[in-house]
Amino acid sequence: MTPKYAQPCLRLSMPVSDTRTRPAPQADTLEARVAAAHARLAGAGYGVSVPRAFRQAAPQVANRLGDEAALALAGAASRIAIRTRPRIAAQFLDLSVPMARRLAAPEPFSRWIALLVGLLKPAPDIVEPLLERMEMLHQRLGIAPLEAWVQTGLRLAGSDLVLRRAFFTFELPEAVRLLERHAGEDTFQSLEGELRATHRALWGQSPPIREALPQSKGSAALRASFGAGVIQLPASYGGYRGRERFVYQAALAHIGAHMAYGGKRFQVGQLKPLQIAVVSLIEDARVETLALREMPGLARLWLPFHAVSSEGMATTPSLFGRLARALIDPDFPIRHGWLRKGVEMFRAGEGQIGNPALSRHIGNILGNDLGQTRVQFNARDYVVQPVYRDDNLGLWDLPPDPHEAQQHHHIDIETHDLRRSEETDQPQDRKTERADPNADMPPERVVAAPAASGIGRIVGHLPEYDYLAGIERADWVTVKEYEPGPGDPLFWRKLEDRHGPLLVRIRALVRAAAMGRQKRLKRQAEGERLDLDAAIEASIQLRARRTPDHRVYEGVTTPDRSIAVHLLLDTSHSTNDSVGPAGPSVIALLREATGVLAHAMTQLGDPLAITAFASDGRDDLRLVRVKQFHDDLGPLTGMALSGLRPGYSTRIGAAIRDAGATLATVPAHRRLVLILTDGEPSDIDIRDPDYLVADAKRAVQSLNSTGIDVFCIALGQGAGQRHAEIFSKRGFVQIDRLEALPEKLPALYLRMTR
Amino acid sequence: MTASSILDAYRLETEPKWHQTDDEIAMFSAAYGARLPVMLKGPTGCGKTRFVEHMAWRLKRPLVTVSCHEDMTASDLVGRYLLGPEGTHWQDGPLTLAVRHGAICYLDEIVEARQDTTVIIHALTDDRRILPLEKKGELVRAHPDFQLVISYNPGYQSVLKDLKESTKQRFCALDFDYPAAQVEAEIVASEAAIAQASAETLVRIAQKSRNLRGQGLSEGSSTRMLIHAGRLMAGGLSVSEACKLAMITPMTDDPEIRAALSAAVDACV
Ligand SMILES: Nc1ncnc2c1ncn2[C@@H]1O[C@H](COP(=O)(O)OP(=O)(O)OP(=O)(O)O)[C@@H](O)[C@H]1O
Ligand SMILES: [Mg+2]
Repeated sequence: MTPKYAQPCLRLSMPVSDTRTRPAPQADTLEARVAAAHARLAGAGYGVSVPRAFRQAAPQVANRLGDEAALALAGAASRIAIRTRPRIAAQFLDLSVPMARRLAAPEPFSRWIALLVGLLKPAPDIVEPLLERMEMLHQRLGIAPLEAWVQTGLRLAGSDLVLRRAFFTFELPEAVRLLERHAGEDTFQSLEGELRATHRALWGQSPPIREALPQSKGSAALRASFGAGVIQLPASYGGYRGRERFVYQAALAHIGAHMAYGGKRFQVGQLKPLQIAVVSLIEDARVETLALREMPGLARLWLPFHAVSSEGMATTPSLFGRLARALIDPDFPIRHGWLRKGVEMFRAGEGQIGNPALSRHIGNILGNDLGQTRVQFNARDYVVQPVYRDDNLGLWDLPPDPHEAQQHHHIDIETHDLRRSEETDQPQDRKTERADPNADMPPERVVAAPAASGIGRIVGHLPEYDYLAGIERADWVTVKEYEPGPGDPLFWRKLEDRHGPLLVRIRALVRAAAMGRQKRLKRQAEGERLDLDAAIEASIQLRARRTPDHRVYEGVTTPDRSIAVHLLLDTSHSTNDSVGPAGPSVIALLREATGVLAHAMTQLGDPLAITAFASDGRDDLRLVRVKQFHDDLGPLTGMALSGLRPGYSTRIGAAIRDAGATLATVPAHRRLVLILTDGEPSDIDIRDPDYLVADAKRAVQSLNSTGIDVFCIALGQGAGQRHAEIFSKRGFVQIDRLEALPEKLPALYLRMTR
Repeated sequence: MTASSILDAYRLETEPKWHQTDDEIAMFSAAYGARLPVMLKGPTGCGKTRFVEHMAWRLKRPLVTVSCHEDMTASDLVGRYLLGPEGTHWQDGPLTLAVRHGAICYLDEIVEARQDTTVIIHALTDDRRILPLEKKGELVRAHPDFQLVISYNPGYQSVLKDLKESTKQRFCALDFDYPAAQVEAEIVASEAAIAQASAETLVRIAQKSRNLRGQGLSEGSSTRMLIHAGRLMAGGLSVSEACKLAMITPMTDDPEIRAALSAAVDACV
């Protein structure tokens, strides 16, 4: 039996001082109490290092934050020593002194201790790695985001100890990324959308822009890069806090200039590394010069990063930095012969500036000149400066790099063998093991795999709400789109055959509803035509010299019905169950009901989308787009609908968010997400039954706040226990007699949209 | 009242300025010569209205303009019975007025109007050239000088709103788009009374925003917006301020697209 709450979770409210360590009432000077605590630590068999560290730390902490804070150290150290090792407890005590300085007040300090003590039960193994990085972590995060980051790491790893360790030792790139996010720094991910749009605006093109993969051994990419039409930007630019946006903009504008004004890749030929570097530098300046002619404002973006001094030692980095600046900044003082020569050649080549050969020509000569001097150039450690410039790899026709093999980007092309899977409703195979660490890698790691109906296409990420932490984790759930299984092209015709009378009835219902929308209005002040009765009456009044009622027109109400619906179908594993002993499966019923409903809706002209959803952990929200808003209800939709297969779990909140996002762009007065589900939210990586319920509730609320309604139809007897909690009492209906669904659904829908 | 005096209010006294961008004047004149209905296609604010005004002035015809909107009904175009002291009387709508007395009638954004509205122009725009006034029981034969012009913005592409094929096929069509950069800058400079160089900067910014057409923006900045920005600059605002006020904020609320547009403005000035 797994315990109910195997998922580690922090109890931040855990008291930091324990009754056992409380001093005897008579010893109330600090010294006496410290001595007592020391004695207890010394007598507990943790060795000498723990009491010694306590003796040293306690007075200093007391000095800064008061006695209670200092005494709390003893209890915490004792627990750490028991749950982990005495050595780690000593490490904690040593660290408490600088941390007391950093945290500066008793309250955050006790929160910090609580954070560590709270980890001892669920995750003692990460206390040490955390302590090792604590000063850095606190420096970047502060206490509250630090707590959130730790919780996020615990959730991410779930019960996978290897993954957990990888996270807290920063071997997992996601740890760094989440750190940046919790620190509120702008990263590639947070700026991605705006960078894409900016690039599109400036250059009229939309090349793929990706986050650069970490270089081997996990170190993040330092510089932007381009080549093969793909732009790669570092996940973050460390050291530019508050200016991240500008670095990214500058880097992207620089690459844009390369793409707009560059030529074919240069051949390396006989060039030495130094010459290659100089040619690249001249080429950078050449394309920037051209870009500045069209967009002079880019100078304000680029120049601040050229923070070099015009004087100083003539080392290669310094000379390169000065040349880079002098070539695009006419006001930069030139105090070196080599620079002068470079700038003069560049200016003299003005007439040739459109030709990349100019860069090669000048770079050759300058590189050669520099090679003659005794200035050192270390090709291996060379990093292009300033920071916004790319690594130059896109400029050169280089022999294929063996390391590049692993840099494949996910390719959005898939082939599916429609004949392969069989025609039955066989559930899809469930993933049995917990995802390996790679599952948490950035999407680019996912290399296009051989075609199989099980391969989804990553289309985005969604946030998820953690009610324990009270935070919404950005980009927590990975959304993948899957193709439906093989379906029946004759679905619609068969539906007509099976449900002929029902369809006719619903059609009539719909027609009536449609007619009810336009009402004739009598006796109006203005309108289409005269209201005959009113006009005659008014004429009589006039002839009798009395004041007539001027409301003599007749009009019709404007049809104000405007509703768009996104229908979400839960196709989780349980929908494979049959309705009653010999009845059809839930999913078969779901398909029919949806078919009937879609039929009715298209008659009303209401925009409709249909998406089937299931999930297999947070890294695989499985969506099948049965019908998008712009699709019509043709054979393809019928095939998709009949091709749905049951399988996996039910992460309702994520599916709601996705549906909400698609609805947000549809112009309609009322927008509705309508969910058909047979069970409560659940997923393989979540054991806390409240977690997904709370998240789904949050998703509903956030949609409501943007004017989108969420309505749930809970199918089956057992369903619906927690639905009122998620959707509110008015937001869901339960249908026990599943067989009645095809009949009830459209009526329900009409009731809701009235 | 004579026919001509009824429409006097619709005559253009001063020339609406038009910078020719192609052979549109000759083409329109030819269509008018044959009294064929014309559809002007193009994005918002590219000069369609101005062009019709110019042509009406050039052809010396009165111009009746109707901006169509969602709530517009056939009666709003054709006319309706009103109740007066002497009983009911018929009042011609703007379209009927133009048909009877020989004006050019310009229906701006006709797709916006309800479907039943577009159907009433069918008999007018084929060789019958008649307008049936159903409620009055009258068949109005079009005056020989009458011409119908409609505008149509293909960029709208709303699923629900499109012209019926049978409507489209009755019209000759002229394609409008934002003019070439040089011409557009001249238009902006003269309409807003700003220096040519400033107008060129504005046009460059507009071109950047037009790159986002269909990719975050349903339309880029129109010539009209540029003229507005130009006027603000003539009134003393800086380029960035004028662009923000006239070209960025009105166009989108999406923070990412706004950031991109601001970056484009910054890059161009
Ligand atoms: N070729 C041109 N010559 C002179 N002015 C022009 C020209 N093109 C555009 N304009 C100017 O552009 C502005 C907008 O034009 P107009 O109002 O005619 O646009 P529109 O296409 O009718 O827009 P909408 O579709 O929104 O009605 C006007 O101020 C007009 O002066
Ligand atoms: Mg470069």
